[in-house]
Amino acid sequence: MKVDEQIPRNALVWIMLGMAALLAPHLGRLPIWVLVVYIACALWRLQIFRGAWHFPRRLVKLGLIAMAGTGIWLSYGSLLGLEPTVALLLTAYAMKLLELARRQDAYVLLFLGYFICITEFLFTQDLLVVLYSLATVWLVTAALVALHQGVQEHFRFGPLRQSGVMLAQAFPLMLVLFFLFPRIGPLWTVPVKTHAARTGVSDNMSPGSISSLSKSDEVAFRVSFEGEIPPRANLYWRGLVMSRLQQGTWSAFNYYDVPAAERRAAEVATEGEPLRYSVLMMPTQQNWLYSLRYAESSQAGIMQAPDFRLFRPVEIEEQYRYQVRSWPQAALEPVLSDWRRLAELRLPDSENPRTRALALQLREEAGSDAGLVEAVLARFREESFVYTLQPPLLGENATDQFLFETRRGFCEHYASAFVTLMRAGGVPARVVAGYQGGEVNPVNRTVIVHQFDAHAWAEVWLEGEGWRRVDPTAAVSPSRIEQGLEQALAGEGSFLADSPLSPLRYRRVDWINSLRLRYDALTYRWQSWVVGFNSENQLQLLQRYLGELTAQKFVLILLGSGLLVLLPLAAWLLRQRGGATLDGLSREYLAFCAQLARRGVERAPGEGPRDFARRVAAALPAHAEVVAEVTGLYENAQYAASRDSRRDAAQRIRRSRRRLR
Amino acid sequence: MQIQGLVDVAVSEVGRVLLGKEAQIRLALCCLFARGHLLIEDLPGMGKTTLSHALADVLGLSYKRVQFTSDLLPADILGVSIYNRNDASFTFHPGPIFTQLLLADEINRTTPRTQSALLEAMAEGQVTVEGETRALPEPFFVIATQNPIHQSGTYPLPESQLDRFLMRLELGYPHPVAEREMFQRKALSGRDSQRPGQCISAAQLQQIREAVAGVHTSDSLLDYLQRLVAYTREAPEFAVGLSPRGALALLDCARTWAVMHNRGHVVPEDLQMVLPAVVAHRLVPSGDFSGDGMALVMQMQRKVDVIRP
Repeated sequence: MKVDEQIPRNALVWIMLGMAALLAPHLGRLPIWVLVVYIACALWRLQIFRGAWHFPRRLVKLGLIAMAGTGIWLSYGSLLGLEPTVALLLTAYAMKLLELARRQDAYVLLFLGYFICITEFLFTQDLLVVLYSLATVWLVTAALVALHQGVQEHFRFGPLRQSGVMLAQAFPLMLVLFFLFPRIGPLWTVPVKTHAARTGVSDNMSPGSISSLSKSDEVAFRVSFEGEIPPRANLYWRGLVMSRLQQGTWSAFNYYDVPAAERRAAEVATEGEPLRYSVLMMPTQQNWLYSLRYAESSQAGIMQAPDFRLFRPVEIEEQYRYQVRSWPQAALEPVLSDWRRLAELRLPDSENPRTRALALQLREEAGSDAGLVEAVLARFREESFVYTLQPPLLGENATDQFLFETRRGFCEHYASAFVTLMRAGGVPARVVAGYQGGEVNPVNRTVIVHQFDAHAWAEVWLEGEGWRRVDPTAAVSPSRIEQGLEQALAGEGSFLADSPLSPLRYRRVDWINSLRLRYDALTYRWQSWVVGFNSENQLQLLQRYLGELTAQKFVLILLGSGLLVLLPLAAWLLRQRGGATLDGLSREYLAFCAQLARRGVERAPGEGPRDFARRVAAALPAHAEVVAEVTGLYENAQYAASRDSRRDAAQRIRRSRRRLR
Repeated sequence: MQIQGLVDVAVSEVGRVLLGKEAQIRLALCCLFARGHLLIEDLPGMGKTTLSHALADVLGLSYKRVQFTSDLLPADILGVSIYNRNDASFTFHPGPIFTQLLLADEINRTTPRTQSALLEAMAEGQVTVEGETRALPEPFFVIATQNPIHQSGTYPLPESQLDRFLMRLELGYPHPVAEREMFQRKALSGRDSQRPGQCISAAQLQQIREAVAGVHTSDSLLDYLQRLVAYTREAPEFAVGLSPRGALALLDCARTWAVMHNRGHVVPEDLQMVLPAVVAHRLVPSGDFSGDGMALVMQMQRKVDVIRP
């Protein structure tokens, strides 16, 4: 092998450091054996470096490839999908170390490293991850720099500095590309994260089948209100309206389940100033949107379902921001269509006989629909119902079992039981799933809604009033609504029991909490301005400043600003390369020489100031004094150790040479 | 101490015996102040020996002279151990090199073997004879002379050896006025001029050297130096550019020159004054260039701008 094809020793160290940095953020998602592969490959490569072992033969390599593929298959059950493919890529990346013989192999490895760095963003686009990835890019670039250093050099941190400078130089260009490069739609789609557990609200609800609800502290969405933030007890974020009960499971009507005539939401009389707010949603892979009660959005791509919820026909696969107006007081559907009434009253036959009997009895006693609501809530409040996240499992006739035997459950149990009672008593009712409450971040006045704020409540239709929100959980555990889940579970200790390190658990510690809220405010900005900067925003931004946008204009602006950013950099680099340039003092002196040249005495290039002065004094005795003065000033400032400012000297020369005119 | 005054006195003192060669005397002093060895290249009878002898007198240095011939051996310069029968041991008899100022006359007459023995001593400041290293006196100067014509039977110093001399001087014919004075002096007194007296003591020599160490060298001057050096490496007239040792020699001499003129900083003229003596013997013109080393120096001094990069 030629010397210039060798991989310098310190470059190998940088490459391995870079690989470790690339692997680290993926570790949580990868099976542990991938880490073992990395360590084994690194050791193998080190042994090759020491001359102890050899590069693997082709047959061995084939075997390793087959083993890696099989391993991924066994761990994920598939080779397709986002996580298995990333795992496959990472495993192959580790084994690429064993093919790292020449410099060109190192190029392949490092450029692939940049790509691997990007794969992390398929899973999260958190600000910290971005900072970490920047550090990784820095490290990989340092490895690239180290690759161009001498073979025999010791390990030093020079490449880190140099690559830092290179990245800093690339930064302006990055900004130009970020803001101006056309955001072309994806040419391929990344398969959905099949393995990412869906937390929060799902499209159906079957209380009784869950014995322990684990709730995460991930952020579901952030809301920023234009005006005052309503009190937390009124923050019911409607997501999904479930009107259909089948085999103990509540679910929402799909678009085509509703007869054509009913597919449009009824007109709602809106009065007064609406609440205006914008919601920044994290990807859910679902298509419903969250909003307060009676919400309208004029944003393109958002539709309204006949049960007054908002949805987007396209699944939300990346974070999504939308503007909403809400009239919380507006009456919803004061007149109910026949189909709707039937749909909202339907209960499976022959299930939960005791519940049905109870409902009929209560309805009779109450005398009115509103009275039935009150009676049921009073029953929840007064009898020994318990709010818990760890309810017992329920069998057949779940509602009967819940109401008369276990009496332990969380929002879903209460909402479901309440709606069942209502429907049995002849009152149209339905379950609403979404989030309740949220945390107000005082730093930037946003409401942060976490996954553990997920909630289910009920809506009942009352003659003359329309749909009314009733939250049976509030009757059982008022603190859940007024103060949030943490308070409601204070005795049980199950709040975020699964995430011992979540900063939310340490809310009581002031500085952690304030740090957490500040970081969240920063994240909000990051999510809305950087991650959320899509082609739409880009177009808006450009149109705001540049008017109507044509293709030529777009290209011109892109190229123009690229040049604008690169030219100063290029000029600076040229200056660096060109060595010393003419400083102000020398310019002044040369101007003086030019003045004398016009009078017939020209300085030869190789003539020093003293020699020149002597010659001028002989040729132009009238100016001898000025010449001596300027030469003295120049020599003093330029060659002597005088501490006088050079700028000062330049000015004095300028003043002196005026006398030559 | 007015160094310039001291130098002026020394120059005029040497000038009493070597008439009309003030510039060369100054350069020679500069070379010695800068701890360099001097090569004088000229025809016989031009005053090479006179100059070196006068320099030794002015500086109050011990002085020895070796006439280099083709059969001179290293031991003839360095010294030799001789068996002493009285105390039955070898006694080292130091050669002429153990002196402060050595005149190596017609260095190109001797074999490379002897030349290299001398040049090694010049570079190291010490000699090794029979396994024992002996330090040479301090200061130690070598003034070598070389005869440019009558080259038959000579061993011209190669470029690499020439590089060890800080300066190379040519004396040249004297100015008619100076020559006339020389004749008159001979005619009047009937004898050569008297030997010059010591003008610079060892302590003063030390002081001059300390002053050189404290001279300010500005970035602008270094820029100029680098431009000069770069020119020799890039311009097509040069077969070989100036080595870093040559560039350092140039800087050393310019700094010394500045001190000799009572200046605390170096100006471009200092560089230009020492440039031919320091650089000419280190440059090799390429085949296309018709002139010699001196013409090259003139060209580089003319072409490289003092101020403009």
